Amino acid sequence: MADAAAAGAQRRSPALGLALLAPSAAMLAVFAIALGALFQFSLLEFIPGSLRTGGLTDRNFRGVLAPLYLRYIWDTVVLSALTTAFTLAASYPVAYALARTPSARVRSLLLVLTLAPFFTGAIVRTYAWMLVLGNSFVRWPVKLLFEPEGVLVGLVHFSMPTMILILAAAISHIDPGYERAAASLGARPWRVFWRVTLPLSTPGIVSGSLVVFAWTFSAFPTPELLGGGRVKMIANVVKDLALDSFNWPGSAAFAVVALAVTLGLLVLMGRLLGRGAA
Amino acid sequence: MTGKAVVALEAVSKAYGATRALDGIDLAVHEGELLSLLGPSGCGKTSTLNIVAGFIEPDAGRVLLDGQDVTRQPAWRRGLGVVFQSYALFPHMSVADNVAFGLRERRMGRREAEARVAEALALVRLPAAGAMRPSHLSGGMQQRVALARALVIRPRVLLLDEPLAALDRKLREEMRAELREIQRAVGITTIFVTHDQHEALGLSDRVAVMNAGRIEQLGTPREVYQRPATGFVADFIGASSALEGRAVDAGTVELAGGQRIAVRLPRPLEPGTRVRLLIRPERVEPGDGGANALPARVASVMFLGDHAEVRLELPGGARVLAVVRGTVVVEPGDRLTVTLPPDAFLEAP
Amino acid sequence: MIGRLVVLALVLFMTLPTLVVVVASFNPTAILSFPPQGLSLRWYENALTYPQFRRAALNSLIVTAASAALALPIGTAAALALVRYPVRLRGLWNTALLSPLVVPGVAAGLGLLILAARLGLLANRVVLIVAHVVLVLPFVIRSVMVSVANLDPMLERAAASLGARPWRVFRRVTLPLLRPGLFAALLFAVIVSANEFVVSLFVSTRVTEILPVAMFTYVVNYTDPTMAALSTLFVAATFAAVFLADRLLHLSRVFQIEGHR
Repeated sequence: MADAAAAGAQRRSPALGLALLAPSAAMLAVFAIALGALFQFSLLEFIPGSLRTGGLTDRNFRGVLAPLYLRYIWDTVVLSALTTAFTLAASYPVAYALARTPSARVRSLLLVLTLAPFFTGAIVRTYAWMLVLGNSFVRWPVKLLFEPEGVLVGLVHFSMPTMILILAAAISHIDPGYERAAASLGARPWRVFWRVTLPLSTPGIVSGSLVVFAWTFSAFPTPELLGGGRVKMIANVVKDLALDSFNWPGSAAFAVVALAVTLGLLVLMGRLLGRGAA
Repeated sequence: MTGKAVVALEAVSKAYGATRALDGIDLAVHEGELLSLLGPSGCGKTSTLNIVAGFIEPDAGRVLLDGQDVTRQPAWRRGLGVVFQSYALFPHMSVADNVAFGLRERRMGRREAEARVAEALALVRLPAAGAMRPSHLSGGMQQRVALARALVIRPRVLLLDEPLAALDRKLREEMRAELREIQRAVGITTIFVTHDQHEALGLSDRVAVMNAGRIEQLGTPREVYQRPATGFVADFIGASSALEGRAVDAGTVELAGGQRIAVRLPRPLEPGTRVRLLIRPERVEPGDGGANALPARVASVMFLGDHAEVRLELPGGARVLAVVRGTVVVEPGDRLTVTLPPDAFLEAP
Repeated sequence: MIGRLVVLALVLFMTLPTLVVVVASFNPTAILSFPPQGLSLRWYENALTYPQFRRAALNSLIVTAASAALALPIGTAAALALVRYPVRLRGLWNTALLSPLVVPGVAAGLGLLILAARLGLLANRVVLIVAHVVLVLPFVIRSVMVSVANLDPMLERAAASLGARPWRVFRRVTLPLLRPGLFAALLFAVIVSANEFVVSLFVSTRVTEILPVAMFTYVVNYTDPTMAALSTLFVAATFAAVFLADRLLHLSRVFQIEGHR
């Protein structure tokens, strides 16, 4: 009935609704102003040895394209792509188990094990990988710590919870009736998976991959600690320039690039899936 | 109109976006009566109730309570008792606290409130349920608690929104009778929203049949059933069969199959016009009863225990539904004679 | 069967680093070795007495308490508005309020740093607290929205019909029924704020820095297992909080993972 949709929304004034949103809007405004300041600085000239800036310039963005930095950007793209691929492969089985286990207890356990790293701070998680990848516990046949391979492992581990949550949401929304129907038509379990479940979970795969790629593109603590200064991604360049060289304008240009790529990918995802960011 | 209206709606309209939920409703509910709002889902009956309760505001028109305009008055000031379809018992309170909720809002002393709660729970025959949580009660018991909670504040009017819809059939019939007893005992003016015609006919002093945001007919259950004012009412309440024909003179209709039948309608027919006649199944008499005795063939039989519904086909293809006692044996294909009494017809507008 | 082993292996991969940290934290020597040569609590003692950690812990406490105390009412108000009020451009509000989640930490951090410098608040904790409120809000709003959406509006109507004015309805019906959701939101706020690192790195100084930033500095400069001890404490607290949140709010609902029969 028409009432149901309007239930609760009636006799409540839009003005009060806006008043309730106002404090959050104020917080967002501070955030937006900060990002505005970032854009502004990315277009101002850097005066070495000073936090003050000169006039308008495009030098900062031309600096991004210098050969040294282009290499870091290329490394960032490659690491992000590899991270996305490995994370997808490693997350799908866990997500499938999470969505399809008949036991509420197993689901709860998997969820807590998935989420705990999600909420364990970046520093703790990255430090943990420093211990694992260093040679004190296991003698690795190849050097991993402070190498791209080690950074990749850390990034995959960092991205898995996010990917698992997105995939599990997508898989759990597939009606098991389709799978039963396929089975009744003679498909063996893995054919059912291959021909029914996997194709139907495409939206989750697409959005999970884009989110992971976007987040990895601006990853900071993992490459900072596991890369040990030898492997650098774009966010590490931002930090080096801003906090070590005090070149805020130059740093801002890199930050704007990272922001643009991240937001661009998420907007693309919104378009592909025809709805807002998950 | 007898007595002053307790609740009156005057030209009340309400739209949700482009859909008109209510289109100029006029309604007066009298002291002590039980009035049903009956109609299919989406007809506006729940919107009407919500406007009376003060949960939604009408776009136009007035709501009067004892002659006072309460159109802009919020729900909490109106002092009406509402029983919701889902019961809406507060899950974080015991049964007794639920029932005492409205008394606490009225700042009633503890002693007095306890006595009133006990009295209300006794009225709905749940004297020992006070300490329980609503979630531990059966559907029927939750329904009683909801009723006690609404009645304990001694509301001016009781509003019931499909209160029986969530119960299974046997319990529903029991609660229907009990509801009527309690309503009579308390003597409270009641508005009852339902989509179930049996409930409406069986419980009400008067029934307002609603369709597409309008009241199609307002009258006693007998009037609404026997003298439907519109085709919609005839169709919605009770089963009926339609016969197409052409008026030959003021009291005679020629059916599609060529049979001429006598009809006695409230207004004389205009010769030559097309006519659509309705007849209730229980008025179709098997056998030759004199006027309008017609040959028919049994098309199908649905056996329902104490009675059977028989679909008859008249020469020319018109179909008529009839009801026979369960003990009468008829088979599809049987030929028989039926009588359609002249005064049994209704004219569909 | 193979499927289960694969899932088990992957879950192990996810939890392995945490286990290693816990083992390392009890290592008796400064140089890590496996299997451990004994058990020792000296790194815990070290972690709890290291002055910069103590100062940072106090800062963390202040920043997390302040940001949670601010974000909870602010976010609850926003969640109520978005679910219950006829707000125009609801979709846009939803996206905007969750957007801080997708802005790269270095961009947000540098932007806030520049803004703080402009306002002369470089060494001020206010910037840090505002940053944390912004980053925590999406989590608060999301959890409270789930709770509000699960709240039957008929209960509030029932209360109003029984004579409760709007404020009383909120006090006696809405708020008590939202309590588990609010508690989960508080947990989220505390977890996220206590673990925030990237933005905090940009907008804090040695004096105002919070624990994760101090830990970062320590890891860069020292290799002994003091960090492992501190990390273990962190992980234990986080696990407990997530477990509690799941009990209270059924996280599968927050993340829209539904079970089928």
